[in-house]
Amino acid sequence: MSGFEIVESAAARLRKHWPHRPTVAIVLGSGLGELADQFDEPVQVDYSEIPGFVLSTAIGHRGRLVFGHYAGEPVVAMQGRFHLYEGHKASVAALPIRVMHALGAQALVVSNAAGGLNPNYRVGELMVIDDHINFMFRGPLVGLNAPEWGQRFPDMSAPYDKRLADAAIAAARRGDFVCHRGVYVGMLGPTYETRAEYRMARGMGGDVVGMSTVPEVIVARQLGMRVFGVSVVTNACSPDQLGTTSGEAVVEVANREAERLATLVTAVVESAK
Amino acid sequence: MLDLFDKIAEATAHIRHHWEREPVAGIILGTGLGNFVEHLEVEAAIDYGDIPHFPTSTAISHRGRLVCGMLNGVPVVVMEGRFHQYEGYSMKQITLPVRVMKALGAGTLLVTQAVGGMNPYYKPGDVMVIDDHINLMGDNPLVGINDDRLGCRFPDMSAPYDQELIGVGLEIARRQNFVAHRGVMVAVTGPNLETRAEYRFLRAIGCDVVGMSTVPEVIVAVHCGLRVFGVSVITDMCLPDALEEAVVDHIIANANSAQPKLTALVEGVVAHLCSQQLG
Repeated sequence: MSGFEIVESAAARLRKHWPHRPTVAIVLGSGLGELADQFDEPVQVDYSEIPGFVLSTAIGHRGRLVFGHYAGEPVVAMQGRFHLYEGHKASVAALPIRVMHALGAQALVVSNAAGGLNPNYRVGELMVIDDHINFMFRGPLVGLNAPEWGQRFPDMSAPYDKRLADAAIAAARRGDFVCHRGVYVGMLGPTYETRAEYRMARGMGGDVVGMSTVPEVIVARQLGMRVFGVSVVTNACSPDQLGTTSGEAVVEVANREAERLATLVTAVVESAK
Repeated sequence: MLDLFDKIAEATAHIRHHWEREPVAGIILGTGLGNFVEHLEVEAAIDYGDIPHFPTSTAISHRGRLVCGMLNGVPVVVMEGRFHQYEGYSMKQITLPVRVMKALGAGTLLVTQAVGGMNPYYKPGDVMVIDDHINLMGDNPLVGINDDRLGCRFPDMSAPYDQELIGVGLEIARRQNFVAHRGVMVAVTGPNLETRAEYRFLRAIGCDVVGMSTVPEVIVAVHCGLRVFGVSVITDMCLPDALEEAVVDHIIANANSAQPKLTALVEGVVAHLCSQQLG
């Protein structure tokens, strides 16, 4: 089966589980999965039942699609995503985006747990992603490009939709909590960065650093989807006073920020109608 | 992916057949540093080709055998010749010997390498104790499903190089009156050397020296809980605005000239580890 046929067969399978057209696709990052527990009339489908989906092995990731209504809109969410550090090719990691697009989603909401490089960021704060740097040494569009996929050379001058970002930041203001706007650096992982690597990532313009999101956003842009991205700052990576970091601590902080994340996602879903 | 655990066990069992001691440290010798073994009371020397699952070393001036023996009365296991990403090996292959050293009982990894100096205060023949690194190899030996028996999914890298051992190394250099820098090493894939523009870039992102090894081994050492001490030997200067063509013979000659310093550092750190173990 070609990649395109895999996407079509996954979409066909999923339509049998849930007949509606989602308007927004949501990717829930480490420790952020519980947002999908708030969907109305949820329908869950395990990744193991979906053609082309691999298994999610990462901590704080459950490994299923959840369909339902959120903020009154039909949506689909990934509870658990695929990471390159799990050994997946970037194109495989981003395949669910193509499937959710095939189901009808015209907008993508991506969330992630990230380390804060910007010294003004505090643990637990949110950052709306304004732009990213791909430092994963891999890209999801490498290889022959099927015309159905979209353009060979997608433009990346503004991968993150400004209006959706503005809607989220306005919602944070109304909710009276801090929400930054900055640059996400995507790294391969799975090691956390060294102090020297944090200095480098900060020096080249990054505000937060993480191990996901970039492949998904690149594919979404090739598909012409509007993209909204948000990072939860789960640990501070100031190289000159660096503490240690563990996966468990990251997930714990992300869990705590679920409510604020929900505020932003609600605003974005309403704005993306 | 999870077969790595069994590969480690098989390689370890083979080495155990030749050598029964528990090493205090594992030592990896880089380009031009192979004569270090002369300081060792060799008890077993096993060609990589004879050890199950070990790749074979193809790099120039790397011999390709595992030497087990006593360094001033302290049991150590030494890699004479290492594996590089530019030889086409996967990062998992490159780092298998580190896991085997751990399985043999080593608590510390000492790693040496030849590097190009970008910090203008460094000179060919100087040594630099590695304080930190930047991985620009575009890969990581821990990519894939994590085997929790070997280490955790997301190893912390806030201090991969043991701060106490860095201090010990610098003190040895002071006492023996030779220059030892402390700096940041960046690892690139190679095998071509860098362009002038690449050297400027590497310097700008905060690096003092550049090499084509060590980072994979150190990541795996941290993953499996080894303390790490790293030393770079500056074999040529990479100053982009006065760049001279690199000559492999000169690089090896400079590495050889630094051998007494390197030997002093490795011997001193191993002695420190031994005294800690006894103390």
